[in-house]
Amino acid sequence: MNKVILLLIRYEWISFVRNTFQLLMLGCTFLLGLYAIYYGQSEIEVQRETIQDVKDIEEHEFHQYQASFKEELGSEGKKNQIASDPSYAWHRHGYHAVLHPHDYAALAIGQCDLHPYYYRLTGMSLHYQLFENEIANPVKLYVGNFDLSFVLIYLFPLLIIAFTYSLYAGEKETGILPLLHIQSISIRKILIVRLGFYFCLITGLALFISIIGLVSSGNIFAPENRLATLFWIVGVIIYCAFWFAVLFCIVSFKMNSSFTAISAAGVWLLFLIVIPAVLNVLMSSQYPLNSTSLAEITRRTSLENEEDENEAKEVIHEFLDHNPHLKGSDTLIHNNTLAKAYAALTSLKDMHSKEDVDHYVGQVYKRNQWAAGLHWINPAVNMQGIFVHIAKTDLNTYHQFHSSIESFHRAISDFYFKKLFWDKPIQLEDYSSLPSFKMKTNEVKWKTHILWSMTKVGITMVFFFAVGFINIEKQKK
Amino acid sequence: MNSVFLIAKKEILIALRQKVIRALAIVIMVLLSVALYAGYVAYDQQKEVIENARKEKREEWLTQGDKHPHIAAHYGTFIFKPKTILSLFDFGLDTFTGTSVYLEAHYQHEFMFRPAQDHSSMIRFGELSAALVLQILVPLLLIFLAFPAFTKERESGTLKLLISQGVSCTTIVWGKIVAYLSILISILAPFFVIAFVLSTMLANSQTIPDIAIRVVLLVIIYVVYLLIFVAFSVWISMRSSTSKNSLLTLLTCWILFMIIIPKTTANFGESMYPLPSMKIYREAIQKDIKNGLDGKASTSFRQNQLKKEYLQRYTVDSIHKLPLNFEGVRMQAGEDYGNKVYDVHWARLKKIFDNQNRIASLSSFITPYLAIRNLSMGLTATDLYTSIHFQKKTEKYRRELVRKMNNDMAQNSRYGEFYEYKAGKNLWNSIKEFEYTTMSAYEIVSLYKTELISLCCWAVLIFSLLGYSSRKIRPVYE
Repeated sequence: MNKVILLLIRYEWISFVRNTFQLLMLGCTFLLGLYAIYYGQSEIEVQRETIQDVKDIEEHEFHQYQASFKEELGSEGKKNQIASDPSYAWHRHGYHAVLHPHDYAALAIGQCDLHPYYYRLTGMSLHYQLFENEIANPVKLYVGNFDLSFVLIYLFPLLIIAFTYSLYAGEKETGILPLLHIQSISIRKILIVRLGFYFCLITGLALFISIIGLVSSGNIFAPENRLATLFWIVGVIIYCAFWFAVLFCIVSFKMNSSFTAISAAGVWLLFLIVIPAVLNVLMSSQYPLNSTSLAEITRRTSLENEEDENEAKEVIHEFLDHNPHLKGSDTLIHNNTLAKAYAALTSLKDMHSKEDVDHYVGQVYKRNQWAAGLHWINPAVNMQGIFVHIAKTDLNTYHQFHSSIESFHRAISDFYFKKLFWDKPIQLEDYSSLPSFKMKTNEVKWKTHILWSMTKVGITMVFFFAVGFINIEKQKK
Repeated sequence: MNSVFLIAKKEILIALRQKVIRALAIVIMVLLSVALYAGYVAYDQQKEVIENARKEKREEWLTQGDKHPHIAAHYGTFIFKPKTILSLFDFGLDTFTGTSVYLEAHYQHEFMFRPAQDHSSMIRFGELSAALVLQILVPLLLIFLAFPAFTKERESGTLKLLISQGVSCTTIVWGKIVAYLSILISILAPFFVIAFVLSTMLANSQTIPDIAIRVVLLVIIYVVYLLIFVAFSVWISMRSSTSKNSLLTLLTCWILFMIIIPKTTANFGESMYPLPSMKIYREAIQKDIKNGLDGKASTSFRQNQLKKEYLQRYTVDSIHKLPLNFEGVRMQAGEDYGNKVYDVHWARLKKIFDNQNRIASLSSFITPYLAIRNLSMGLTATDLYTSIHFQKKTEKYRRELVRKMNNDMAQNSRYGEFYEYKAGKNLWNSIKEFEYTTMSAYEIVSLYKTELISLCCWAVLIFSLLGYSSRKIRPVYE
């Protein structure tokens, strides 16, 4: 490395070490980072505990059903009926579909405090069971979470601004600038070296906090975490680099230090508050969603005339036409008709409302695609999107969860309906082949989404850097 | 007094000559217009959607056909949360509270469809509303305007000149404050006028009473809030050695007040008072219904008691001989007990919410932003109290509906029969349509006493500091 550069770095280091205010700022940010990690982990821990409780309840329930087969009939008669008679079991046996939080969810809580992460499902209408919300304090939802992604996205840019806004103006105001001008090295190079120094320092701190967060939240070498860790680290570097490029661009206009600080604060405000806030209202008014249409499908419905056997049979026939694999001999319809009709009715209802739900989800997807298309001008939101995507606490994950739940619900219904429509009891052996929930994921899409989003931040960074690089020589002040 | 205006005039002139201030003023005006327009569009869209849905559900209820009252109680109905006209100014928690609820027998459904669930994580960055502009962005404009108030005079040596001419520091302070306030008022005046016009035009809104009072109160609290920021900025400028320091201090305070403190206190509240999970909460309710609140009176025990009581009251020996359908009585008793249990658990849950939010309320003594945020949400009826108030009203309506269905069943059908009895339109008509009116302005303001006090404290504190410091000011900083 060039001697002059080494000299510059040395003196930058000395002036940094002697500036207690700067050290204090770094220290505070570090502590806030640690608090954010602690907070995120405690939030996710609560979710994990709830998941355990929920699973225990389910296990206990099914254990009781199984035990009832061994009990003497009589006192346990009703319990056994629920355990073995499909006309009870299909709407009484509750299975939990659980979205286990990713190890790194603690670092970017994202939308995971807003969406339920477990559902108790029976064979009853899926949509009757799907729209219940988790208990949450709306004020807290509104304010958001103080997690590591917040510290990185909101506070680190401020730190970068505080360290670099006076790199040029400061020299000018203290009268050192003319001395620098007579050096063999160009002002541009001096600025880049000094920015590089602070880049290493601040990005180093960001990486240090991130690594503490990553290591304490999960095993970074576990196969499912390896790539996520790498993405997180690269993300932190790119985001810091982006803000340094922005500051380089602002500094290149060679304004006085107050004006540089105002401009930098303005840009921060623009990227972190104004643009996202404007896009949010534009999105809501351009792509309004009408959830009232979905309300109806959550209604508990019954047959119009329960006592009319013909109506019941019609419903069963319609259902069997859509599910030929459940068709048995015609005589089967005459037994236990009402129970079958109810099962058929809820299943048909789901089928009819599926279109509405799909349409609604499609609209949600469309509006968010629109917003994602504007990530070029919205780097902070883009970066937040990357972090929550890495931690799998983004909206997409919840959509995947919902589609996995649909398949799971179908498996549950199928399991009981096969027994119900073929008049077969559920036996003890059947309990070893109960339906189980599996979350569908699309790792390829996950990777490409992250890489593409990072590229966007990267390109914006290069743009700002290039503007700064050219501009600094042009500005003659 | 004359010199106050002279100083103010000079200050306004300087501000007008600064490009950045002009640009920022325009940006603020544009953002305010966009915010109000978008707020109005959202309000209008939602109003229509909700109105249509309301009519549709009412029609469905009335034309559900003849059926057994208990089936009707399960068929139930839906209620949609109306948007209040003032929500176009401050969206408050509307994005994070559920918008519709299903009312049926035996079960208190939670509100469904929080609009934020249909957004990506961008929603967490906030939505542009006029309230956001006034609460967060305008203070920043004031900081940019006022940070050099004293430091610049000091740096250019004019402060010495002013004081040597016999102008007191208090006059300079007031001159500056008047100047910044006039700039602010000229930026915001058009919006306040619109607010007044709207409030008089829409004074008879059904959902939200006392609109005019609310608007006046909103204007007052926002003026006080912004005045606090003007005075605070001038004070910091007075206490700072250089403009740069003054700006940095003010920006740091802004970040602390607007971003860091509100978030940490809310997070802290949640860590201190954790909420139960829905499943666990529901399980506990079911358990108490099954075993009794005291753990001694199980469902069957309670039913037997009720049976005995009715047999005694009518001096008969069999429920078949009762002059009413005991099944209806039993159902209503079950419903009443379920409601009692629900109320106990709901009160506990609400206590946790209150505890969590009390921390934010008290934190308004650390940051005036929290005071204005809560008061503004309260006055525009987009806060948690209004949301809970609405929830209570819907629950009351549900209970009334179910009670009427059960009573009808008890009065008009016979024990042991179900499909034989059908109620019709007369019964459905006897359930009045749900109508909601928010709390009165007085009621809501009395819930935000802490915030009001803290706002006053802030104003008093800042002006006392200004008064104190202006007596102690040194024209030259060494």
